[in-house]
Amino acid sequence: MAEYKLHYFNARGRAEVIRLIFAAAGQKYEDIRFEREQWPEYKLKAPLGQAPFLEITQKGKTFQLGQSMTIARYLARRFGLAGKGPEEEAEVEMYGDQITDILNEIIKIHFEKDEARKAESAKKFFEETLPNILRTLQSKIEKNGSGFLAASGLTWVDLYLVDVLGWLGEKKEHLMANFEHIKALDTKVTNHSKIAEWLAKRPQTPM
Amino acid sequence: MGNNASFKLYYFGFRFRGEVIRLVFTAAGKEFEDVRIDPSQWPQLKNQAPFGTLPYLEVTSGSQKLVLTQSTSIARYLAKKFKLAGRNDEEAAIVDMYADQVSDVLAEFAKTARESDANKKKEIEQKIENEIMPKNLKLFEARIAESRSGYLVPSGLTWADLYLFNLLEMLGEKRVMVLEAFPNLKGLDQKIRNNPRMAAYLAKRPITPF
Repeated sequence: MAEYKLHYFNARGRAEVIRLIFAAAGQKYEDIRFEREQWPEYKLKAPLGQAPFLEITQKGKTFQLGQSMTIARYLARRFGLAGKGPEEEAEVEMYGDQITDILNEIIKIHFEKDEARKAESAKKFFEETLPNILRTLQSKIEKNGSGFLAASGLTWVDLYLVDVLGWLGEKKEHLMANFEHIKALDTKVTNHSKIAEWLAKRPQTPM
Repeated sequence: MGNNASFKLYYFGFRFRGEVIRLVFTAAGKEFEDVRIDPSQWPQLKNQAPFGTLPYLEVTSGSQKLVLTQSTSIARYLAKKFKLAGRNDEEAAIVDMYADQVSDVLAEFAKTARESDANKKKEIEQKIENEIMPKNLKLFEARIAESRSGYLVPSGLTWADLYLFNLLEMLGEKRVMVLEAFPNLKGLDQKIRNNPRMAAYLAKRPITPF
């Protein structure tokens, strides 16, 4: 029996996809959340000096992983949420990378200090970049008939997509109106009993 | 997908994000069609790419066809097929972690390429040279030392080593000098250059600015 310790700030940020994977898998873990002031102390323990990081203890040995996507993929494989077979796994990873591109853009716009550049980037993102990605994801969902991104059923990237869509705030509903299959996926995931349970009890944080 | 799959890679003519895929094929001794797209032709060809971006890979096996995009997902898929991904799931995760780290640094280089404001561009370039590169080179150096194989993981060469090699090439003319301070990285760089398949490929590949 493995024991898992996730380390991150008290935020959804780049760790939430990992928490959603644990929730969907019904797997217990220690959800360690530290404050900004405590980070220097945790940084020393982190394998790449970055958060999130995961400690897995199994048969008396502890092994550490950094990089949120590596952690997500590793756990998804362990818990059967990575897709069936090498080809589907690779497709799922590809969607994961696309979703990360969305998240990175959201973060970049959020932290842009120059108001003119911020407005310009946001316009391009909401009018072009994001709809283009959602359009492609939607056509995948439509084609494969499972209602999820992968033909075989729920995988970690469905959880990740829902997580990242959550960052769009008030813009989400308007966008979802144009993407009915993604909206349906979002509903399916958020109503999944174990996910709904996590969403209801998780700490409410601004980011 | 059978073992007789054929591969067609589509990318621009330069190294940057596509090169790791070419290196994986090369190290594994596997054939692939290396389609190099002229940036001026790209706008017309954009529709053919699954997400409108490069690189993308077409894998054909009999009647089955798979199209993959996102350079690291492509590289990881091929590496697993060609046994260049580490010896088990745990080692593969370590490989992934360091590959993700390389990818993050490459993303910083991408920022400079996209930046139109000359001052901001210089600022990013200096941040890469003075902060990001040194910090990451230390991480990679320590990891190679820990694995004791001369590569990032104990079992030997993986796609993350090839990706790291690709990143070191971004140092350009400064590479040799920078690596003097990192004996394990220098060793890895040399090992890869001296690998017969790699040496042959490096000798004949087109020379590109990045």
